[in-house]
Amino acid sequence: MARTPRSSYKTRLALTPYLLLAPAFLVLIFVIALPLVFSLYTSFTGYRLVRPDSLWNWVGLRNYERIFTDWDFWVAFGRTILFLAIALNLEFIFGLGIALLINRITWGQRTLRTIMMFPMMFSPILVGYQFKFIFNDNIGVLNNALQSLGISDAATPWLVDRNLAMFSIIFAEVWMSTSVFAILLLAGLFAMPRDPIEAAKVDGCSPLQVFRHITLPFLMPFAFIAMTIRSLDVARAYDIVDVMTGGGPAGRTELLWTLIARVGYDNSRMGQANAMAYVSIILSVAFTYYFFTKLVAARRYMGGAA
Amino acid sequence: MTKTTLKGLALGLTLPVLLAGTALSQDYDYGSFPDTTLRVKLIGGAQYEPLYAEIPKWEEMTGAKVEVLSRKNHFELDREIKQDIAAGTLDWCVGSNHTSFAPQYGNIYIDLNGVVDEAVLAKFDALALENSTVNGRLVQLPRHSDVSNLYYKKSLYEDQANKDAFKAEYGYDLAPPETFDQFKDQAMFFADAPTFYGTQYVGKDEAITGRFYEMLVANGGALFDEDWNPTFNSEAGVRTVNWFKDLYDANAVPAGVLNYLWDDTGLGFASGTVALNLDWAGWAAFFNDPANSKVAGDVGIVRAPKGVGGKRAGWAGSHTFSITETCDNTDAAVSFITFLTDHDRQMIEARKGLLPTRTQVWKDVKAEFEAEGNDFQAEVVDTYSLSMSEDAFTPPLIEPWIEVSNEIWPRLQAAILGEKTPQEALDEAAAEARLIMEDAGYIN
Repeated sequence: MARTPRSSYKTRLALTPYLLLAPAFLVLIFVIALPLVFSLYTSFTGYRLVRPDSLWNWVGLRNYERIFTDWDFWVAFGRTILFLAIALNLEFIFGLGIALLINRITWGQRTLRTIMMFPMMFSPILVGYQFKFIFNDNIGVLNNALQSLGISDAATPWLVDRNLAMFSIIFAEVWMSTSVFAILLLAGLFAMPRDPIEAAKVDGCSPLQVFRHITLPFLMPFAFIAMTIRSLDVARAYDIVDVMTGGGPAGRTELLWTLIARVGYDNSRMGQANAMAYVSIILSVAFTYYFFTKLVAARRYMGGAA
Repeated sequence: MTKTTLKGLALGLTLPVLLAGTALSQDYDYGSFPDTTLRVKLIGGAQYEPLYAEIPKWEEMTGAKVEVLSRKNHFELDREIKQDIAAGTLDWCVGSNHTSFAPQYGNIYIDLNGVVDEAVLAKFDALALENSTVNGRLVQLPRHSDVSNLYYKKSLYEDQANKDAFKAEYGYDLAPPETFDQFKDQAMFFADAPTFYGTQYVGKDEAITGRFYEMLVANGGALFDEDWNPTFNSEAGVRTVNWFKDLYDANAVPAGVLNYLWDDTGLGFASGTVALNLDWAGWAAFFNDPANSKVAGDVGIVRAPKGVGGKRAGWAGSHTFSITETCDNTDAAVSFITFLTDHDRQMIEARKGLLPTRTQVWKDVKAEFEAEGNDFQAEVVDTYSLSMSEDAFTPPLIEPWIEVSNEIWPRLQAAILGEKTPQEALDEAAAEARLIMEDAGYIN
């Protein structure tokens, strides 16, 4: 039976939203979904980068079984959590301090805001090299300064000692990315209404009380957004660590992505590396979920929409 | 006769040799490829760039164009090539390669035997060509080579107080070391941490695996037996690890040495705070340049020491060029890599201290240094020429080499830091290496 012009028009009208959305869906499918499905598939194969035909070598859960019995992987997993927790907290504290200080400045604030963002503009590889030479025990700036000033007469092995090596890497990471927190928190301070603060001052609140009960709760949603962004970044930390220590010595600074990159590229075992990457995604998902929960709670506390 | 006159005379005698070399390179017909664009991926970095400045000359001679797709360090280039293999995008013709990396790539590169003119191949050092051969296929044309010899601070060895004190403590005369045991004695003798160190070594990645490997061989050991069973956890292996560990424990090397790579050791020696430095020829000019180095004019060089097996350390490799199987104009690609490795191009690199792979270039560059009165660089050429012809050997040219190396070096570090005994560390590494060799089909 032939369609009437009216029903054809109705069909076209019903299809229009799907047609309009189709380009977006296609982009999502080809740019995100397909690579994800492909990499998930390879994690069940013995895929070696230099042997394309090994892509069809199905090994089932073998890569995952190897990971669950691989002590080095879980040590790197735990170390990444520790690295993430310390770096994010330090970046938050320093970022908050910088934002509060810059917010008080009335002259030259724009210049200072620009200067504050300089570390973010460097490539992580350059930052890695910069700190590698600063922390070099023999010809590095830091040890030479400490020795010249008479503070120490030893050549401190910054990039070798178990604790100092992690400290040095965290220092470089914090140096480069604190401004992410500072910028977002500064935006929060700019958006902050003056009335509650003035009301609190009239009621006799001390500056510390104003900060504790008004400024900080107002800034927390901004802080949690920064933490969500940075937790995804730090959980994938690779460049700085690779340049400064390469995950060593003896695996002392091995993080998830230095390990995964070595397995996937240097050893060409991309199937196993992808299995590691999928397990490590748990970390990013967990932190993102945690920070979003905190963000919603902070907004609810401030009376905003959940 | 004045020194200037002598130099002039020497230059006059050298010039015909150099001109003869130039004439030889111009005799070669590089062909004509007017409608060809050659897509290439090259290793990048300061010491590699002067050669690339010559590419327009080849373009002018042949009418072809060169499109450089990549210019990265070798580790990044290695990753990119592996990605190309995986993605099936080997749509380029010429790639930089290295003797240590080549076995990984399977058959993506053509066999140059029968493709490159035999008369051209005959001009290369036979050992360099042999080391460029994988499973009987010449998959790469060597550009320059790399082996290490021992630089030392001369004034330390000329000081009478040092000579007397050393003789009294160790019972033999102080002279640049001939063996690794003497090397260790002298490094400990000169060390005065944290202001001065006896020596230093590269402490991570394939760099320390390579050093371990060459000393293992020098001490009479081997990485694998003839059936590819790992054998480096032997007495010779433990002895070799102890050499690194003893120096570390005695503070004869900088405490951060386990994080050092080539730049760190080179800059460390140039800073004047290190007595002995086993390193490649590329640093020689830098060490003797007062603008860059505090030891300029005070640098001596001897061949790498011998181990207890009576053999000298000689871990070597070559930077090379390869042509892909998928190349759409092999003749142009052959012409291009022949040009980049010809006499005149190798002279450009040899003047910078890189080790040539053509026998004639060794002679010509030495003559040039002598004519300039640069005795130190002439001695460097002599020393490296000898070690390339007598001591050089490559790591096993097998696909899993880098993977095996990645199992060895973290455990060497653990042993040096005292987290494991040398025997435990090597046993663990050997067990992991066995798994890799089994997976790769070398052990059934």
